[in-house]
Amino acid sequence: MSDKPVNHARAAEHFIEDAPHLQFHDERLWDMRQKRDAQMHILPEWQELREEASRIKEHTLSRLPEYLEQFETNAKKNGIHVHWARDGAEHNRIVGEILKAHNARNLIKSKSMVTEECDMRPYLAKQGVTVTETDLGERIQQLDDQLPSHIVVPAVHKLTADVAKIFAKDYHTDPNIRDPHLLAEAQRQAARPVILHADAGMTGGNFVVAETGTFVVCTNEGNADLSATVPNLHIATIGIERLVPRMADMGVFIRLLSRSALGSPITQYTTHFRGPQKGGEMHVVLVDNGRSARLGMEDFWTSLKCIRCGACMNTCPVYRRSGGLSYGAVYSGPIGAIIDPTFNERKYSTLPYASTLNGSCTNVCPVKINIHEQLYKWRRVLVQHHEMPFVKREIMHMAGKLMGQPRMYRAAIKATEVSLGTMPRFVLYNWLNPWGKHRENPHPVKQTFNDWYRKNRQTTKPAAAPETKK
Amino acid sequence: MSTARDEILQALRNNRPTPENHPLPPVATLGDLDASRERFITSLRILGGDVLEPVEGETLDQAILRRHPDARVICSNVPEAKGTLPVEKVKTPQDAATIDVTVVRAPFGIAEMGSIFLSEAQLPINSFAHLGQHIVVLLSVDELTANMHTAYQERPEFKTASYGVLMSGPSATADIQGVLIRGAQGVRSLSVWFT
Repeated sequence: MSDKPVNHARAAEHFIEDAPHLQFHDERLWDMRQKRDAQMHILPEWQELREEASRIKEHTLSRLPEYLEQFETNAKKNGIHVHWARDGAEHNRIVGEILKAHNARNLIKSKSMVTEECDMRPYLAKQGVTVTETDLGERIQQLDDQLPSHIVVPAVHKLTADVAKIFAKDYHTDPNIRDPHLLAEAQRQAARPVILHADAGMTGGNFVVAETGTFVVCTNEGNADLSATVPNLHIATIGIERLVPRMADMGVFIRLLSRSALGSPITQYTTHFRGPQKGGEMHVVLVDNGRSARLGMEDFWTSLKCIRCGACMNTCPVYRRSGGLSYGAVYSGPIGAIIDPTFNERKYSTLPYASTLNGSCTNVCPVKINIHEQLYKWRRVLVQHHEMPFVKREIMHMAGKLMGQPRMYRAAIKATEVSLGTMPRFVLYNWLNPWGKHRENPHPVKQTFNDWYRKNRQTTKPAAAPETKK
Repeated sequence: MSTARDEILQALRNNRPTPENHPLPPVATLGDLDASRERFITSLRILGGDVLEPVEGETLDQAILRRHPDARVICSNVPEAKGTLPVEKVKTPQDAATIDVTVVRAPFGIAEMGSIFLSEAQLPINSFAHLGQHIVVLLSVDELTANMHTAYQERPEFKTASYGVLMSGPSATADIQGVLIRGAQGVRSLSVWFT
């Protein structure tokens, strides 16, 4: 994996150039945000639910070892095989071994961000296992060889024509189809035989209940339930932070999850797996992959409360206008920008800057993660660790010097005002001024505030103007 | 050599925030506690499901054919409907793939969401709920619970079933250009028949 910092701004520039895609993307995500708001307004208890969810999650994270052990004990009692993976490589090896032991060559799977994190598909391909994504959006992304661009709607950056083109190549459908119904039907028809002949099925898990040894999967298309019930071997990959203590806690989270994500009251399927089906075998792989280390980061551990609803992405003006792929990471949007640097600080050092710090992400988060504050704190950490782009670093350095010396600062302000009015564009708009890239510089003013102040308030002699002290 | 399990648990013990600062809140019961049939139906329709209302003197089998006139293979796991395919014929998960209409009984429904619950106790095989093209679900009005809080607290099935699915309307997707499509990969329609 390359450690070169992701050039989010350049990738976003590329995304913005395509007006129809940009407009759809922006409007579609904003529509999801508005549907979420409509659901919120129906429920007077909404803020109470968020508070409950946050408290349950923080409690669980503070007792995670105990709850994981409780889950393991109960799951084993119910006949589930429980595995532990320190990182992606270990996870992939475990899954590969389970499949090999069953001589399973065809794996169908539903959407799971953890398997994306582990980069599992290429690993299994090398072992001779054919992996078929069964979620429509995820399948589109698989066929197009792209990461999901959104954690809930993976192909949200594509238009119908893009999907028609991809399906024409792999499903031999008409490339000129413009009716999404026909394309969804093509996916159903293509997936059915694969599902019926699969050797193994794989799902993720949205929640894990310690009390009962259950894991809960929330989906809409029915593909996860097909993947779990048609083959006799079911493997579930789940992040270790997904626990809740009691089954009764699920009420809070199910009421929040889909309302926050899509603005629908509940996902069409909410499935509780507590043990293998008749004649079947069930495995759960609990994946750490950096989570236990994140738990020890004082400013960032609460990001582990995340239930992956994507509300912060839908509301973020930067995400909506740059697209998930521009983040160059498995997790995009505001939540991605605060967890990606824990995977690779250098590579994802640019992402905490992909925000205006407007705080909207924090306001919509169903588990009350202070996302925008963590974005700000990451910037501080990255500066301390010298992970800052050259131009930004130099500008900050110069600004720091300038602002520390009032006389120089005032002279610079005056000079800037003069130059804004007189300099040619090529001097004012170039790579040393990223601010002016897509924006006009501010209009020059005739008089600086300091000049005005000296002229109009000279008599009052305030404590300001520190240079007169000298 | 320490195992992955031990290493992960040890790292969590070393890194976790102080447990005493984060007590477990008591179980919450919030929101509307209306468990009426009317609320259930409103919610069910929002999620794309519908009610199968009997017409005067009609049997369940006749009602199913009225709703699904093209159905050839109807498989019922309830005594109230005969169907065309004896449920004993569905032995492997794949056997359910030829079914046009599946008929089952749900032990309970949730008024807030219009959800019905199914587990291995109501299914000859778990895939029975998903591989058929359409599903008709029998539900007693006495078995409605108000919302998700009451459901998880009152219903023992969540703690006893190996496989427990809440189906809220039929399968759906909006993955292509945001267009909502009912009938994605699971059942294309879900109808509730009250008893």
